[in-house]
Amino acid sequence: MRALVIGLGQPAAGDDGVGVAVLERLRADGVPPGVELVRAVEPTALVELLAAQVPVVLIDAVASAAPGEVLELGPDELAGRGAPPYSTHGLDVERAIALARALSPRITPSLRIVGVGIARPPRRATGLSPAVAAAVPRAAERVRALVEG
Amino acid sequence: MSDGTRTIRVDHLARVEGEGGLVLKVRGDRVEDVRLDIFEPPRFFEALLRGRACAEAPDITARICGICPVAYQMSAVHAVERALGVVVPEPLRALRRLLYCAEWIESHTLHIHLLHAPDFLGYPDAVSMARVHRDAVQRGLAIKQAGNALMALLGGREIHPINVRVGGFYKVPARSDLAPFVERLDRARDAALETVRWVASFDFPELERDWELVALRHPTDYPLNEGRIVSTRGLDIDAADYEAHVAEEQVPHSTALHARIVGRGSYLVGPLARYALNADRLSPLARQAARDAGLGPACRNPFRSVVVRAVEVVWACDEALRLIAAWEPPDAPAVPVTLRAGIGQACTEAPRGLLYHRYRLDADGTILDAKIVPPTSQNQRTIEEDLAAFVPRHLALSDDDLRGRCEQAIRNHDPCISCATHFLQLRVERA
Repeated sequence: MRALVIGLGQPAAGDDGVGVAVLERLRADGVPPGVELVRAVEPTALVELLAAQVPVVLIDAVASAAPGEVLELGPDELAGRGAPPYSTHGLDVERAIALARALSPRITPSLRIVGVGIARPPRRATGLSPAVAAAVPRAAERVRALVEG
Repeated sequence: MSDGTRTIRVDHLARVEGEGGLVLKVRGDRVEDVRLDIFEPPRFFEALLRGRACAEAPDITARICGICPVAYQMSAVHAVERALGVVVPEPLRALRRLLYCAEWIESHTLHIHLLHAPDFLGYPDAVSMARVHRDAVQRGLAIKQAGNALMALLGGREIHPINVRVGGFYKVPARSDLAPFVERLDRARDAALETVRWVASFDFPELERDWELVALRHPTDYPLNEGRIVSTRGLDIDAADYEAHVAEEQVPHSTALHARIVGRGSYLVGPLARYALNADRLSPLARQAARDAGLGPACRNPFRSVVVRAVEVVWACDEALRLIAAWEPPDAPAVPVTLRAGIGQACTEAPRGLLYHRYRLDADGTILDAKIVPPTSQNQRTIEEDLAAFVPRHLALSDDDLRGRCEQAIRNHDPCISCATHFLQLRVERA
């Protein structure tokens, strides 16, 4: 394995599933050899994945950006974005990364986050809103550039 | 403070599920007021169930909670089945127990290792604890992942499973689907035994509480989906009679309702209650783990709930392995269901305790009305009483230390505020 791409999100919560939608798009279009695509449904699963000794790209929805905006972040920029703790029991992505660092002497040598802006997800919705769906190909291209680069 | 009152507030309780706070008013050595404020907005699930098909109840109510969706599915599906006169035979009954074991493993393990252990070991959160107690946290994550994976297989996905239906399941696993879990659950069970030894070594504040403990009791099994509702003070009723014995009332400081036993008062549901009423139904290995951890036939120190929870993880791994070994897939994933008018009530044992559902159905199976009583709203008053009993002995502590102990005391019962709203921040006011 040369790189690991992790899609985060809950498709049963509307736009929160965009990370998974981008992952599916990459899977459909094909990725370079050695790039593994993995879906993480909840952040405790992320802790183990981040210990991979290859570059990791994480795709997730970002509630503090305009819906459809595609952004690239380093892990230390998460706090500044004020990512809201939607995850159950408060283990959000930022804490999952902190926990992975606390647990492993070495986590991934490079972690980049490709975020897609969404409005606050409703309690019960399936499928992406038009603005977020339109951002999926752009986000997929950004991920591809990171793993090919 | 000038009027001699000391107030301690926790404006936002961390490491509990949902949004709530605590206000504690102390005058001298007397606790004048203790209130769990639950300000997570009410969610009106009971209202949105009205007019929906009864077949939808398990999937709609699963959305109430991301950490215990199976509990909601189980109480919903059994209540609807009782309204329709459907009894789910073996092996579907066994498969429902297996799905529930996966949720207990996942939910209890998260609470023990990431939410409650930092209180005992003096860390503000799991991340700072993990830097020192790396092995324990990794062990917890590995146990939890075993539960998650089993849940994903049986429920269709890890969160908000979708495979449970009135009459059984949509799809049942082949023996070969479950075979890979044997080794994984075997490792999880060994890890869970290690966790029992770990938590049993914690320092526990002294506190004995004379709660009325309420749980299901089944003729042969440690309770999950079936059994009569029994208590340490003689309650012994069918779920159909729950509302005649348990009253819910609104309190101004909470969006969750408070429950009490009619004619008596507060009570406790959850691991401590299940253990006190069903320790004889644990597997031999779990019983031995409980004895080795120093637990007697009942445990009335709320802080030791973490030990009981760890014993229940051992049991859940053991039970899951037993169920997998015996698994023979049925010819059909569900039994036929005929719609009819009726009322059905069911209680099942969510990780946090008894979860009651009632549905009244029209002849075509439409839900006319629904009632849901989650474990946290049953425990809310008891949690306040635990604090009222605990705080007077610890008034010498600084406000910050007292606040920490109060939060720990609340986490003893792993409250799920998101579930309870119709639940937590801590403020202590001292005089």
